[in-house]
Formats: sequence, structure tokens, C-alpha cells
Amino acid sequence: MEPIEIGIYVSAAMLVLVILGMRVAFAAGLAGFVGLVWLRWNGFDYDPDRFWKAVEISTKIAGLTPHSKVSAQVLSLIPVFIMIGYLAYYAKLTTALFEACKRWIAWVPGGLAVSTVFATAGFAAVSGASVATAAVFARIAIPEMLKIGYNKQFAAGVVAAGGTLASLIPPSAILVIYAIIVEQDVGKLLLAGFIPGMFSAIVYGSMIVGIAMIWKNVGPPVSGFTWKERFESLPPALPIVAVVVIIIFFVYNPFGDAWGTPTEGGAVGAFIIFLMALYRGMRWAQLKDALLDTAKLTVMIFSIIWGVLIYVRFLGFAELPDAFADWITSLDMAPIAILICILLAYAVLGMFMDAIGMLLLTLPVVYPAVMALNGGELVSAADSAFGMSGPMCAIWFGILVVKMAEFCLITPPIGLNCFVVAGVRDDLTVQDVFKGVTPFFLADAVTIALLVAFPGIVLWLPSLAG
Amino acid sequence: AEAMATEWNVSVWGKRRAFTEHVEKIAELVSEKTNGEFTMNVSYGGLSKNRENLDGISIGAFEMAQFCAGYHRDKNRVITVLELPFLGVENLEQEVAVSKAVYAHPAATDEMAQWNAKLLMTSPMPQYNLVGTGEPRDELAEFDGMRVRATGGLGQAFEAVGGVPTSVTATEAFQAMESGVVDTVAFAQHAHLSFGTINEADWWTANLNPGTVNCPVVVNIDAYESLSDAEREALDSSVDEALDHYLANYAELLERWDSVLEEKGVQKVEIAPEVIEEFRAKAATPIRDAWIADMEGQGLPGQELYDLVVKTLEEAKAGGS
Amino acid sequence: MAGSAAVLEDSSLLSKLDRWLLPVERFAALLSGLAIFSLMFLAAYSVTGRKFFASPLAGYVDYIEAAMPVIAIMGVSYVQRDGSHIRMDMLVGALKGRILWLFELISVLLMLLLIVFLTWGAWEHFDRSFDCARPLCSRDSSIDIGIPIWPSKLVVPIAFAVLTLRLLLQTWGYGRAFILGLENPVAVPMTLTIAEQARIEAKALEGAD
Ligand code: NA
Ligand code: NA
Repeated sequence: MEPIEIGIYVSAAMLVLVILGMRVAFAAGLAGFVGLVWLRWNGFDYDPDRFWKAVEISTKIAGLTPHSKVSAQVLSLIPVFIMIGYLAYYAKLTTALFEACKRWIAWVPGGLAVSTVFATAGFAAVSGASVATAAVFARIAIPEMLKIGYNKQFAAGVVAAGGTLASLIPPSAILVIYAIIVEQDVGKLLLAGFIPGMFSAIVYGSMIVGIAMIWKNVGPPVSGFTWKERFESLPPALPIVAVVVIIIFFVYNPFGDAWGTPTEGGAVGAFIIFLMALYRGMRWAQLKDALLDTAKLTVMIFSIIWGVLIYVRFLGFAELPDAFADWITSLDMAPIAILICILLAYAVLGMFMDAIGMLLLTLPVVYPAVMALNGGELVSAADSAFGMSGPMCAIWFGILVVKMAEFCLITPPIGLNCFVVAGVRDDLTVQDVFKGVTPFFLADAVTIALLVAFPGIVLWLPSLAG
Repeated sequence: AEAMATEWNVSVWGKRRAFTEHVEKIAELVSEKTNGEFTMNVSYGGLSKNRENLDGISIGAFEMAQFCAGYHRDKNRVITVLELPFLGVENLEQEVAVSKAVYAHPAATDEMAQWNAKLLMTSPMPQYNLVGTGEPRDELAEFDGMRVRATGGLGQAFEAVGGVPTSVTATEAFQAMESGVVDTVAFAQHAHLSFGTINEADWWTANLNPGTVNCPVVVNIDAYESLSDAEREALDSSVDEALDHYLANYAELLERWDSVLEEKGVQKVEIAPEVIEEFRAKAATPIRDAWIADMEGQGLPGQELYDLVVKTLEEAKAGGS
Repeated sequence: MAGSAAVLEDSSLLSKLDRWLLPVERFAALLSGLAIFSLMFLAAYSVTGRKFFASPLAGYVDYIEAAMPVIAIMGVSYVQRDGSHIRMDMLVGALKGRILWLFELISVLLMLLLIVFLTWGAWEHFDRSFDCARPLCSRDSSIDIGIPIWPSKLVVPIAFAVLTLRLLLQTWGYGRAFILGLENPVAVPMTLTIAEQARIEAKALEGAD
């Protein structure tokens, strides 16, 4: 049998296991391990005497992968980013942010909803996880909106959608994971997420203002804050600004040499938030909880990483990614049309799958194909299909798939952010939240179309960084 | 099933570059010589991480692989003799000669046999000169506190004059330099080109010549022994040809080097002989003596290996290479 | 994404073993958390030393790489205990009773199969780097400061061995639930609907701010 055939059968079997509910990390690891055995025994012509030899070699290959693959300095970004998010709760940054946004921008039509969007965007700068952001703001922002007569469904939709911003605006665990899987510069990817994240927030904000101007009962403006009150709201939210500035300056300093690596930026940011949390009353008991929670989420993510990398090792021996890339580039379709089909496939897949699992399972095969579609890893902008160099295409595609994955957090049937918001609020059903999030869902579709049509939105900042 | 076609998997990393040309060439040659009966499938990172290539050979995951001694000196103590600073190797031909002599020493073959590996050939590289940003560092005092990407004996050499080896992998070197994690990067010319450090650099030391890194290509012993006589003959006889191809290819690259520097606006820094002498005095002898003592302490013929390198190098220089 | 779920307890031997293993797992996870915490200090220390005192930390990268297996793998069993490893639960979420336990049982048995082999393979990886005839028993060392790598490699088979025990207990738990047709079996994570998970996740954050 040809190695590629084995690659296809094993990949199909893995997807079945995932759909049947096997834990993603272990389904991928098992597929990789069984695939390695099959491939090896196939090479031995299915000689029964050499079956155990095939098992032994495959066991050793699979067994060295978890240690080999997680022992990388760049991966230490993921736990640090996760920890920042947990410490931020104890630093009470969420309420501070919401209060500041309210005092400064709630005077516009639909003001409180707009404030919520920008507060979630701000919180995104200390949180790598979308779901957590949605859960926190469901408790802070929804009651205030309801108090002044907001439509309940709309208020819920604002929070569910705002939560999705956390994965684009750095720090973002998912962007780090993308960078590692495709072996691209983490710093540039994080930088690239910043403008599309803010862009998404602005699209949400403008849409809310528009809606509020057409339907007066959606949400009245909130005014009457004095400048004194406004300035007083800033200091408690200040650490967020510090963290944003630090992480960005560690990756790209417009005035000179960057300060260091993203990991160091994340660590210094975490340290500031940690001091803030201590100041706000965090003690050993809370710290221990935060550390356990951080460890738990870290392990969940890393298990998928090493599991999938065992599968990727098998794919390397089966030469499947090359074959898929050859097939994609041989299609008689415009490259941009193929790219849009790939993004739509992610939209469908994302309705049913967790974002991290989805990206990790598909990227080893899809990413080389997209790069080949553009003309190869080293293609120059002039010779490429999408009008950008290989490394820039890697960044652009990364932002697109992460935005797709975020989009899926608010789409039915299992848009997780909507479930979380409904879970926090006893007076809301999931249907309510899905109804309220519909305009944001449309706004996201527009955002994605714009990011596809105008890659400059994504690529401008990273291209400055050289 | 007899007379089956033999297909070897070969694990290397990065992209195809001057550093992998002998591997590509040997794959081409054995296939030609055996009429396609014996083929090699060269994989750039698909089969293993570079630091686990020796493990992969030991397991039998693939049949041939390339690795660098400095990545993991405890895995390959013997051949680290070739990474000692200031050995005085002047060109790639001499580098081939000393590597060949050490690879043939029983201590080296024994140690590699523990990994089920047989040393096939070296990947000769010129001296690892520095690139850096800002003002050229051309005095020893300027090496104090300098974060330098330099592995193995080279790292120790810079440490001896106050430097701090900070060894990100080759692929991260560019980012590390750009972000200021390291001040300088020691690489061979092909790597300065391939990994983009030359694009970030302001200067390059033309004559510091502190030493180089040793990166052998090895084969799995079982796989090697199960080759047919014709296949083994095809492989063995291709080593010198493959190395000749590598040297010719690298020579072209070196010829281009000055124009590359000019094009990228990189200043060629000539270090004063007395500075180099001072560096050598601080780094060469103490590190060599410490290395020999360490090896002898572990029951390895450190002195003998070092003497072998010195003698072979003298012969090579006398022989005109 | 599957959030954490409740694990029921009673006075049976199975439940006792479950509660006996839990502190071991929690300790392992806490080690992971502490390693992450020290990562923060290490990076902060390194960057301060470099920026302000021109004395960078030697071996910074080596230390981080050595800590990563503790961070990434040590807590693997703690996460499995309450069923938090990510999965797609559209299908299993809709199942109930025996058929659900059968699905879970098969899934856990497949995991057990994988982890037994991975424990073996990870041990072999450790073993290749470990040779006590040498200084510090080291047959594989880090790139800059040459510290032995075997301790960091040993973390993996230890973590997987604990996970093997956990999976054996879960096999027992699901097998028992399947055979006896139990409604609320002990020592296994109870499957929750997405809505229930979301509520628990939200509650977990409640105490936080
Ligand atoms: Na974020
Ligand atoms: Na509800």
C-alpha cells in the first residue's frame, strides 16, 4: 500500500474518533501512533515476525515526541499568557475597565453597549481566552445595560460578541499556537492581531451606534460624567495599558530596538498584573487557585499540542501534507476562490469543534497547501498569487483562521460564548443570546470579507517590524 | 521478498542549503549507481527535531541523519574535540581532513555505536565569524557581557572573555538578534545568508576565526549492514564525491560573500592580530586543557584525540590543502 | 470544549482509590502551576539583568526548556480526572445510560492503549539519556550550559504512569456503570450538556472578582 493511502485512512479514522467524542489530544495521538505502526509494518511487507519490531520503533518515535516537542522556549509564552488572564481577575481589572469605558464613551448612541465592546477589547489585552472574557462581562455589563432599559437579547449579544476579541488582540494563546504549528515568527503574528482586533471592535462599535440611532429603544446614551470623574476612573485600569505597551514594545519598538522577546514581554506584563493583584488583596489561597487553573488550561492545550504532533510525525513519514498541497495547487480554480472555500470549511467545522482543536488538527495539512497556493514559503510578493510574500501570507492566513475560529464562538448550534453568557444569566436562554448576537455575526462576516479583500489591515503593522 | 528496492529516510532540518548539499548529492549518486534500486528520501524537519536526530537513528526511525555535536555534547563527547576553539583550521579541505581522522578513531566509532550510528561524513563549515549590530566589537573588552549565539566550544570561548552564550536555535537567531536577545551571532557564511542574520547586521568579523561547529552525517548501523554489497559499495564510494560537490558549491558561496556584504551594507571588520592573540591566550589553552582533563576523567583518550587533530592538520597543511 | 464536571463519591473501594489518587494528581498540577509562576520571575529577572545591569542570565533558554515538560505534561492526569481534556461532545452529550457508558468505556480503553505505549516510549527516551557510568548520569545535555536533560525527560513517563492509573480507575468506573446500568456512577466525570458546563464555568469565575 502507498504511504499516502495509509495517511488518508488514518486521518479519516481520527476524525471519526473525534466526532464520536474521544478527547482530541488522545484521538490524534492514537491515530499518529497506529499510523506509525501501520506504515512501518507496511514497509516490512506485513511480515508477522516483524510486527513487534514495527510496534517498538513506533512506540519509541511516539514516546519521544511529547518531551521533544514541548521543550521549546517559545512555547513558554502560552502558560504565561494564560496566567496573565487568571491574575487579571484578582487584580479586579474588569470592573475598572468597564467603569473607565463607561465614563469616557457612553455618551454616544447605544453608549453602554459601545463601552462594553471597548472594555472587552481592553480586557482582551490581558486575557488570552475568549470564553473567560464573555463570562466576566456577562456579570458586569449586562446588569448595567438592563438597568437603563436595554433590550435583553441585544445586551447579551454585545457581551457574547465582545468576548471574541480576546483571541486577536495580544496576548493570545491561539495565535501563539498557530505560530508554533506553522513555524512562523510569534512576535510578528501577535503584532498582526492587534489592528484586526481593534478593527473588529470598531466595526462592532459603529454598528451599535447605527442600530441605536435607528431603533431608539435599543439603548440610550449615558452622559453627565464630569472630567474629574473621567480622569479618576483611569488609574485602576492603568495596568492594562502598561501590559499592552509592554507586550507591543517587546515585539516592536517604533522608536528603536525592540525590548526583547514576546515571552519576556508576557512575563513582565504578568509580573505587573501579579503586583496589582497582590495590592488588591490576592493571597496564597487565591494565588494557589489561579495557579491550578492556569496549570489546568495549560495542560489541556499542551496535551492537544503533543497529541497532534505525534499525528504530524506520522504525516511526515506518510508524506500526506505534500500530496495535499500538490492536489490543491493542481485544482482548476482561482487561488483566492480556493482560499475562500477553505475559510468556509473552517466556518462549518468551527460550528462543531473547539477552536484550538480545530486549528491543530487541520493546519498541518491545510497550511502547507495555502502556502503552496500563494507560490511557496519563499515566494516574493510580486510572484505570488495573493500579492504578498510567503512569510506575510503565513501571517495573513493565521489572522484569518483565528478570526474564523472566533466567529464560530457566536454561531449556532454550539457557539460557546453564547452558552456561557446564557449560563451566567438566569434570565436568559441560549436562544435569546443567539438572537441578540445576530447583528454581530453579520458584522463579523463583513470584517472577515474586508480582511480578505484588504490584507493591508493585517499586514501593515508586522511589515513595519521588518 | 528478495532483491527488493531499498528506500532510506534521511532526516535533516531547515531548508535545502549549502549545508545539506552533500546529503542531496549522495542521494542522487547512490540512486544513479544502483539504477534506482537504492533511493534516499531527504526530509527537512518532517521526521524529527534536529536535536533528536541521533535518537531517531538509535531507534531506527530513519536510516540517515545530520546533527551538530554542540547541540548535545554529552551525547557525542568524542567529536566535540573538533569544536575546540582556535584549532587553526584554515579552510574546508582541512576541516574535512581532521573530521575524517577523528571519525575513524575507535573512541569516536565506539561512542557513536552506542547510538547504533556510524559516522559517514562531516558537513565542513568555515570559521564561525560574528555578525553584530551597532558599533563593531573589535576589542576583547567589548566581548564582556556580550550575548552571543554560539554553541559548543565556541560558546565556551566567548564565555572565557566574559561573553554570555545564548543559544536560540538557528531558525530563531534572526528574531533573537532583531529583538536584542543576542547582540551577536556566530554562524558560517551560508547560515548568515540562509537564516537572515546578515540582513540585520551592521558588521562581520572577517578574521576572528574562533573555530567552527562539527555536524556529521550518520547512518543507522543495522540499516547499513543490511544493504546489499552493491548498495553498500555505492554508498561508500559516493562519500568523497558528495563532499567534493559540497566543497565546490561552498566555494562559490564564499566567492559571492564579499559582494553580499557590500550589497547589504555590512562592514567587514578586521581584528588586530594582538587582539586575536589575546583572545586565543584566554580561550584556546584553558578550554583545551579543561576538555582533555574532562575526557580523560571519563575514561576517554582526550589527549590522544587532540594530538590526532593537531597532527592531521599539520599534514593537511603540509600537503597543500 | 468540555468544561470540568463533577465526580461523584461514595464509600466503595473504587471511590476510595479515586480519592487516593486525586491528591497525587493535584500536587502534580500544582507543580506545573508553580513552574509557570517561576517562569514569570525567571523572565523578569533575565530581562532586568540584561536591560539594566548588562549581566544577562546564563542558561536562560536551557532552564526554560527544562521546565517546559513539568509545565505542559505534569498535570495531564489531574485534567483527565474530571474530564476536562478537550473533546467534541455533540454526540456523547446526547447519549444517556448504558449506551453512554459504553461509548465512554471504549474511549477510555483506547486512551489507555495509547498511554501505556507512550509511557513505555517516553521511558525509553529518558533511558537513552541516562547512564550512571558518566558524570551526573548524563548522556544528553542542554545546549548552552550543558545541564543534564534526563530529569526533564523523566517527568514524562512519570506523568503518563499516573495517567495510566487514572485511566485504569476510569475503565473500572465506566465498565461497572455499563454492566450494572448505573445512573450516577462514582469515580468518573459526569457528562454535562453544554449549558450545564457553561453554568459551572461561569460559577467558577464567580468567586474570582
Ligand atoms: Na488577548
Ligand atoms: Na440562562
